[in-house]
Amino acid sequence: MILVQLVNGLMEGMMLFLIASGLTLIFGVSRIINFAHGSLYMLGAFLTWQLVPLLAPGTVAGFFGAVLLSAVLVAVIGTIFEMLILRRIYGADTLMQLIITIALVFILRDAVRTIWGPNSLSVPMPDAMMGALVIGDNFFPIFPFVIFGAGLVVVLAMILVIHFTRAGILLRAATDDRGMASLLGVNEKLVFTLVFAAGCFLAGLAGGMAAPYGDVNYLLDTTVIVSAFIVCVIGGLGNLYGALAGAMVVGVTKAMGVMFFPRLAMVLIFLIMAAVLVARSLGRQAGPAR
Amino acid sequence: MMARLARAEMPRLRQMLFVAGAVAALEAVNRLTGVSGSLLVAEIIIMMVFASSLNLLMSFGHMVSFGHAAYFGLGSYGFALAITRFDVPAEAALVFGPLLAGIGGLVFGALCVRLTEIYFAMLTLACAQITYTVLFQWYDFTGGDTGLTGFMTPRFGLSEANFASAAMVLALVCLYVLWRVVHSPLGLAIRSVGQDRYRAEALGLSPRRVQLVAFVISAFFAGVAGTLFAVFHGNAFPDYAGLGFTLDALIMVVLGGLNSFLGGVWGALVYTLLKNFVPLMTAHWELILGLILLAIVLVMPHGLAGGVKRLAGMLGWGALR
Repeated sequence: MILVQLVNGLMEGMMLFLIASGLTLIFGVSRIINFAHGSLYMLGAFLTWQLVPLLAPGTVAGFFGAVLLSAVLVAVIGTIFEMLILRRIYGADTLMQLIITIALVFILRDAVRTIWGPNSLSVPMPDAMMGALVIGDNFFPIFPFVIFGAGLVVVLAMILVIHFTRAGILLRAATDDRGMASLLGVNEKLVFTLVFAAGCFLAGLAGGMAAPYGDVNYLLDTTVIVSAFIVCVIGGLGNLYGALAGAMVVGVTKAMGVMFFPRLAMVLIFLIMAAVLVARSLGRQAGPAR
Repeated sequence: MMARLARAEMPRLRQMLFVAGAVAALEAVNRLTGVSGSLLVAEIIIMMVFASSLNLLMSFGHMVSFGHAAYFGLGSYGFALAITRFDVPAEAALVFGPLLAGIGGLVFGALCVRLTEIYFAMLTLACAQITYTVLFQWYDFTGGDTGLTGFMTPRFGLSEANFASAAMVLALVCLYVLWRVVHSPLGLAIRSVGQDRYRAEALGLSPRRVQLVAFVISAFFAGVAGTLFAVFHGNAFPDYAGLGFTLDALIMVVLGGLNSFLGGVWGALVYTLLKNFVPLMTAHWELILGLILLAIVLVMPHGLAGGVKRLAGMLGWGALR
């Protein structure tokens, strides 16, 4: 029983990582907290719902094709937003950046409700992934494993890109020292746009992959953004590997918490987040004054 | 001598005229537009207190609280729980709402002021979500997601219009106290820490202590608003501490105008009106709200109060500051 919950926790952790990776990536480079990240996730889920029947319903390839296509579409929408609006307020007050992404939350929610209506939709799972593995007395549905595998692929792809490509070098340079990177001739504007697009792509991808998992409705945005925040904060905002660790901590805590003290599971996760933040402040106190 | 006195006194006279005019206008709407008008006025007034409490933190302390609904919700629950669980008479229970909110502000604030900027905002969010989750899940004590209902006659049985008038009096007191706080030595300390905490520290202030005091005062008045809201509706729900009310308050302050005492007041007025009337006209209220927020950030970052102030400056009126 504990094993089952542990596996479930890791599965959910991977899902959370997919959501949070985009958020933390964007923050790492452009110092923008994208409150609309959950909305982009939601958009990815709805687009997947729309595209699955159009491609090859029921097949694995059709499902993943729909997910990828939705992620690209979400990235395009995010890029347009970045180039038209967000670009004007880099360097402005944190509050103003937050407000502008909140504005996007409202606009996207309205758009989604207008296009797809207020009711919950469900995305069918590919037929090949419907079953469950039976190990001993325990049932493990296959679909979460597929998600986990896909998540691993994404993680590996990200590591490869970040460490071994020119884009990755620019990304790391911009994360470490924005000013110096731009002095050395890195096109800052382009890096910001590309990173934002990549973050949106990840949000759309996560939304699409999670779509068959539960209901798809226009209230997904706020629930998702809050969990993504928690994961990013626990892992350290802007730290991709931290986000992976944070996602696993949250996923496993949630799964274990549901088993031992169901009512306190969420409180526990927020307490971990608060503890991490407070510990951070203690650490800073010991260091040199900023 | 006379000229100096006159210069010093005139703005005060204008301020009092402005306040009297605003009260008269609200009271006129309250008395002349029937029950629905009174309900709207009451809601506007409660939100004015709520938004102004957040404004104290954001405009003067430069602390972006991303979980202010926690103290609004604690205000409602402090009041409702005192009646339902501790058999306190309803009139006396009024004290417990703001009290619980203030205590919540003291506990959470002590943690939050250790951080700055975005991390401060994140920790306030975490604290608010903890509050919300506890209210939502502790069925035996808080009633869980069904909330607490039926513990009193809404508005103590006052008519809608009389309740709105009573709330107005209380709101005036609250705003006056907040005004005095902002213009006291403490207010100066809050502002100086908000502008440059290191310089303030060099001047002998303790930034964290000053911020904590500001946080507790702010939480207390958010609690007053929450208590009033619970009296208004005769209930308390976990949503009162949820992300929705947090966003409402934030939007009101930003819409009304940062760096201005009346920002929260203007924001509460305009936002509540928009929220009540726009959905009657169109199904796209959220789209409109999003566009308004974009316009505020891109075009007028000082919000409505900034605009009004500029207009007042043109007309040679200083009273609206």
